[in-house]
Amino acid sequence: MIELRGLTKRYRTRVAVDALTVTVEPGRVTGFLGPNGSGKTTTMRCILGLTRPTEGTATVLGRPYRELSRPMRRVGALIDPRARHPGRSAYAHLLALAQSNALPRTRVDEVIELVGLDAVAHDRVRGFSLGMGQRLGIAAALLGDPDVLLLDEPVNGLDPEGIRWVRELLRSLADEGRTVLVSSHLMSEMEDTADHLVVLGRGRLLADVPMTELLGAHAAVRVRSPQAPLLASALQRAGGHVELEIDGALRVEGLESDEIGDIAFLTGARVHELARITASLEAAYLELTGDEVEYRGVAP
Amino acid sequence: MSRGVPFGAVVVSEWTKLRSVRSTWVCTALYLLVVATGGWFGAAITQSAPRADIAVSSALTGFGFGQVLVVVLGVLAVTSEFRTGMVLTSLTAVPGRGRLLMAKTVVVVVWTVLLTALLALFCWFAATRLTAVEGGIQLTDPAVQRQLLLQVACATLTAVLAVGLGALVRSSAGALGAGLGVMLVLPPVLAIMGSDQSRDLARVLPVFRVGDEAFFSVATSWQHGLLVLGVWAAAAWVLGVVLLSRRDV
Repeated sequence: MIELRGLTKRYRTRVAVDALTVTVEPGRVTGFLGPNGSGKTTTMRCILGLTRPTEGTATVLGRPYRELSRPMRRVGALIDPRARHPGRSAYAHLLALAQSNALPRTRVDEVIELVGLDAVAHDRVRGFSLGMGQRLGIAAALLGDPDVLLLDEPVNGLDPEGIRWVRELLRSLADEGRTVLVSSHLMSEMEDTADHLVVLGRGRLLADVPMTELLGAHAAVRVRSPQAPLLASALQRAGGHVELEIDGALRVEGLESDEIGDIAFLTGARVHELARITASLEAAYLELTGDEVEYRGVAP
Repeated sequence: MSRGVPFGAVVVSEWTKLRSVRSTWVCTALYLLVVATGGWFGAAITQSAPRADIAVSSALTGFGFGQVLVVVLGVLAVTSEFRTGMVLTSLTAVPGRGRLLMAKTVVVVVWTVLLTALLALFCWFAATRLTAVEGGIQLTDPAVQRQLLLQVACATLTAVLAVGLGALVRSSAGALGAGLGVMLVLPPVLAIMGSDQSRDLARVLPVFRVGDEAFFSVATSWQHGLLVLGVWAAAAWVLGVVLLSRRDV
């Protein structure tokens, strides 16, 4: 379990993390979302004791990270795939980490095999692709068989097979009762992986909700009828929010599809199509963070 | 602090890190080469000496410039972590920052002591072969032993100073510049300037030492030199730990 209480990090000119209070629960995959510069990485660094918060606290398993004994057995972290010496071999990198926490040498071979780097274990990390680097980072995080995992953008640079592998890995780790916090900017990836979402915007907490709830809140019903104006006014009277779509169909929020079907029947409007649309995470997320994007490109 | 992991485990880990990068072996090879060659030539051009310790001192000449490699080794052991981002991983594995730097220092110091002792013995051997001294140059002679042990002590303190500077400055170029500046560049400049103030200043700089003498600087006793070097090493190291613990990475 990871607990953040009023976590705040101010740099000279800007607030990176602003009074963040969140509890990351074990047994589920918690997705950590936010636009670039929203404070995800700073938050993760505060949790790991790499960055000192200006105010507030971050604890892991009830204690500040720096006070954990044998930290790699409690927490596995992937902070930055470049956080290693390029001239060192993958094996030596993992061996040094294992030794620093008095983990058995056999663990190194196990995680190398687990992430599929056997063939290049004794090559210098310098020649690794981004995807191989991510695999090495994940191997390091898993070395101590930890209760808590913090992974910053683990699928960045992975091929589709690697992405699926990470997804299944995170799923199984969470199912074993571990705490898994994973940040990503790939929404579609999160939608398939996370059970719960924590969304940041400009350092502030925008949402801390189960995935289904966030998607449900942005769901709508699509209904197509030759008597669209008649149906639209009836739906509005019933309390629905109706918008006309480009193809002439109606997009209705605030009413369920069975209610809409009943209203159409009572109004005498014929219905050619009636479908529930769950919002994609991407749409829900963009709506949530629309005002909070720090770095936005200008449309050409 | 992370109790539970024995300190020895962290030291072993730091040894793995040190031995698994090429720069360590480049520094080691150059240190051996420069000091051994310098020692052989130093002994060869000293055909005879009035006392055994003076003969040994000539053979130790290679340490003058050779200790540059000790500075590079010590500095890089720390700054390479910052340059590459490895420090994030290292401090996640060992959150006690003083503990991490102490382990790193132990490894660099042990390695420096080993190499320097080996080289000092080689220099003594070169002196016995190439420099004539009445009564010979015996390893059992306390004056000879003092020269050799002083050399090991000074190189070791130099290594500690380098590690401390690395933690203080964090950048390889900055730490090497600062270290070589106060140890190798400023002392002769100040000595040549020749004013009383500049000579006083040169006396309190941690200049490289060759046996019991200052290398290219105002002459000081070996006790004085060892003390100055010790104070600089301790100050840089302690300040390095304090800043490492306080600053974000």
